[in-house]
Amino acid sequence: MGAAGLGGAVLLGACGSSGSSGGNSPSPTTKRPPIGKEPGKLSILEWDGYQAFGTPTNKKAGGLIAGEDYTKKYGADGLTYSLIVNDSEALNKVRSGQQFDVIHPCIENLQDYVHDGLVQPWNTDLIPSFKNLNPALVKGGQLDGQQYFIPWDWGYGSVIYRTDKVDPADATGWELFWNPKYKGRISMWNGNTTNFEIAALKLGYGGKAMDHLSDDQLNNAKNALIEQYPLNKFLWSSEYSDLQPALQNGDVWVAYSWQDQWVYAKEKHLPMAYMNPSQGRLGWYCGFMLGKDTKNYYHAHEYVESFVNHKSCLSLTNLFAYGSADATIEPSEITNKAVAKSLDIGNPNVLSSADVHLQSWEPNEAAVQQAWEEVTASAG
Amino acid sequence: MSAAVGRLGKVILGGYFGLMVVFLYVPLVVLVIFAFNNAYIPALPYSGFTTKWFHAAFSNTDLTGALKRSAWLALLNGAAASLLGVAAALAMTGRRLFLRSVWTTLLLLPLVVPYIVLAIGMVIVIHQLGYQASLTAVLAGHIVISLPYSILVIVPRLRTLDESIVEAARDLGADNVRAFLLVTLPLIVPALISSALICFTISFDEFAIASFLAPPGSPTYPVFLYSGTRTPALEPQVIALGAIVVVFSIVLVVAGDVSRRVLERRLAT
Amino acid sequence: MTDRPIAEAPPRRLRLRPRGGRAFLIAPPVLVVLAVMVAPIVLIALYSVDVKTNLPFTPTKFTWSMWKDFLPPSGKFPNPFWHRFEISMVITVVVSLIAVAAAYPLAYFLAFVSRRSRYTLLLLILAPFFTSYLLRVIAWKIMLSNHGVINTALWDIHLRSHGDGLPWLIYSKFSVGLVLFYSWVPFVAVPIFVLLDRLDPNLLEAAQDLGAGRVTTFLRVTLPLSLPGVIAGFVFVLIPTTGEFITPLLVGGPGSQMFGNSIQSFFQDTPNWNYGAVLALWLVGVVFVMLLVFGRFLATDLREANS
Repeated sequence: MGAAGLGGAVLLGACGSSGSSGGNSPSPTTKRPPIGKEPGKLSILEWDGYQAFGTPTNKKAGGLIAGEDYTKKYGADGLTYSLIVNDSEALNKVRSGQQFDVIHPCIENLQDYVHDGLVQPWNTDLIPSFKNLNPALVKGGQLDGQQYFIPWDWGYGSVIYRTDKVDPADATGWELFWNPKYKGRISMWNGNTTNFEIAALKLGYGGKAMDHLSDDQLNNAKNALIEQYPLNKFLWSSEYSDLQPALQNGDVWVAYSWQDQWVYAKEKHLPMAYMNPSQGRLGWYCGFMLGKDTKNYYHAHEYVESFVNHKSCLSLTNLFAYGSADATIEPSEITNKAVAKSLDIGNPNVLSSADVHLQSWEPNEAAVQQAWEEVTASAG
Repeated sequence: MSAAVGRLGKVILGGYFGLMVVFLYVPLVVLVIFAFNNAYIPALPYSGFTTKWFHAAFSNTDLTGALKRSAWLALLNGAAASLLGVAAALAMTGRRLFLRSVWTTLLLLPLVVPYIVLAIGMVIVIHQLGYQASLTAVLAGHIVISLPYSILVIVPRLRTLDESIVEAARDLGADNVRAFLLVTLPLIVPALISSALICFTISFDEFAIASFLAPPGSPTYPVFLYSGTRTPALEPQVIALGAIVVVFSIVLVVAGDVSRRVLERRLAT
Repeated sequence: MTDRPIAEAPPRRLRLRPRGGRAFLIAPPVLVVLAVMVAPIVLIALYSVDVKTNLPFTPTKFTWSMWKDFLPPSGKFPNPFWHRFEISMVITVVVSLIAVAAAYPLAYFLAFVSRRSRYTLLLLILAPFFTSYLLRVIAWKIMLSNHGVINTALWDIHLRSHGDGLPWLIYSKFSVGLVLFYSWVPFVAVPIFVLLDRLDPNLLEAAQDLGAGRVTTFLRVTLPLSLPGVIAGFVFVLIPTTGEFITPLLVGGPGSQMFGNSIQSFFQDTPNWNYGAVLALWLVGVVFVMLLVFGRFLATDLREANS
């Protein structure tokens, strides 16, 4: 089937019968039915909280309006979400053969998805808002000259802590996670490889080294995490059901988090700070990839368009204080200007600045994941 | 029974039994009480009585869909596993069976293979064959883990049947199939009902296999339940429907047992 | 099941039966078990020696290396997964022992005190066992969590200062052990009850006629005779909890995850299914050995229950 399909694709490509307009559009694969003939039931691999507006978990006014254009046009009933807890789980799900139309991974796994043949390139001509997206992020989403990844959201990873419980003298850098004073009040993320990046930063392997650990460095990071792991109350998997309530009611004082939790705490006037560690913050950007065997090629494009359009990107920024790939957002459109300024969310170029360590592809990811399993198995 | 226990012993044992009953039921009662709690997080003090979570649960199509999916799966499993169980039990209680102990061991083996191992094994097989995770795969897994229970319920009942009745039927001209349908089957109906109920319960409750094999967008009830505990907006609904499931299953177990005893008594006389 | 439909079977007549009879009926269930259970375990075995793999573009070649890495002695450092296995087994065995100790008096009460209503009372303690396992764990999470029922109750009656939960109440070995104990204790009482219930009362009376006190009678007569039931009950908890992973997932913390969690995590979060296969196959092996050691007690018990 694979070989025959490929042969057919080459043939079609040679005849130029796919109607693609060249340029950035993908090499045509099979003859696709028009959008009206597609099943239209999109299966999406997502993080909790990003469900399109109009779906059962995101219905109330004031929610993230991303996806609204799509659900207005096609209804929300056809969308099914499989929620992931971390990047490794997402990749593993897709690798194990589960099929999704749209996936929302982060840039660190771009190579894995493409090289394992799990995704196909987008036809950017079908995404009108694509032209508004930040060129640096767009370029980062290309591989072998194809746009496999439509960048959408970006942000930081750092330490969030309760200012009423944590001594300011202790809150200097990532080493706060290792401070035995706060044993049982710490919660790292159940996000295996990220914890190795944190350990790497603490040990001084910042920048590119963070994702290219030598065997010795990996071993040191592992030992550091074995030391850290028992200090956790639990590892949080869900931002909303594990992390947020625990920080709010004081069960946890120190946690790994993205900036949205800090913004939430500020709104609720909770005494929390989002650290700018001496070693620098982590940075990330995520986006959309297109499942290799999707039967909803055109639906998937419309779905993604409804997420990367201007108003959705603006909603993402105003609601979660995440940065977006949309380069056309004006400072005047952002509601909370103080937060925006302190996080520099108008400027994705900070992701390549010296004090932000972009979470990138790890050539030895499997070894890092194996080491993480060893860390969790070593406790108690 | 004074030889086994004295008066003081009776009091102590009775008190202990009572305490254990309390221990066994308190978490379930708490679950039911908090299904009516007017707050997102189940905690004391009680925030007031409400039935809104039940309304919310029943209008949540994802939740009711998962429940229906699991009910169908469990029904199919109850029927399929019991059918295979009868076949196995008939063969195992027959006079001639080549390699009897081998087959018996093999068929009872799923009792001891950890579900998590079976689940990942099936994931690997499906991956190797290039298939997709599916509810059919979940059903296949459930049939296999239910089969030993079905056999263990049906075999004893078949053993208590006197072969001479079946033979009498044959002497009267019934062939094997007819003898089975007319004589054996009606006599093992209580055991079949028990088997179907137990297999239903096993499937309805099973998490490990379903969590690895249920396809995206089609979670079984336990899989939905698990994800529901990780979503604050869903948790009260999950608890509300859970309370109904708990109460219902206890009623079902009691009713099932009572009816089985009545049926068996009737058949015995 | 004690009541036989016909008290005495007539002597069997000599009669030639059709060849094979109903033996062929064994085929469908056996085929299903072979396809759905045996085949996956065989594949797990192949993964565990690297003959098959899920890692893309990785050559496969037979090797024992992962087994050597996992099994002790593996050099100076104990393998972390072996360490996890040991901790997991300690939890399992301790829970099983406590469950048996707690279930024995229950069975004793049912068999010797509640004569007429014993089946009704047995049903009373068994009924929770037949409700959803996951829901029972969730119910305990409501009880145990930091701002859960027990802690908030302690705050309300000023036994602890507000907001300060008992640190060991959840995410601990205690919480994992408690929930496992809760889940299995009713089930353990069944085999013990079956044996005690079948005990010939004359035996006990004879012992006492010979001058033995109740305690002596219990220790010398009742307990030894019920031992197969005790062991069966022990195994009833031991075997399923050996592969447990849901309870630690919901109420366990960093130090109280079990061996099953390592297996689940390997297959959920990593591409290295091969190493996960080693752990999974080891688990099957361990359970199988348990069955070889204890199997005859289970068989005794089943025969008892069937007679």
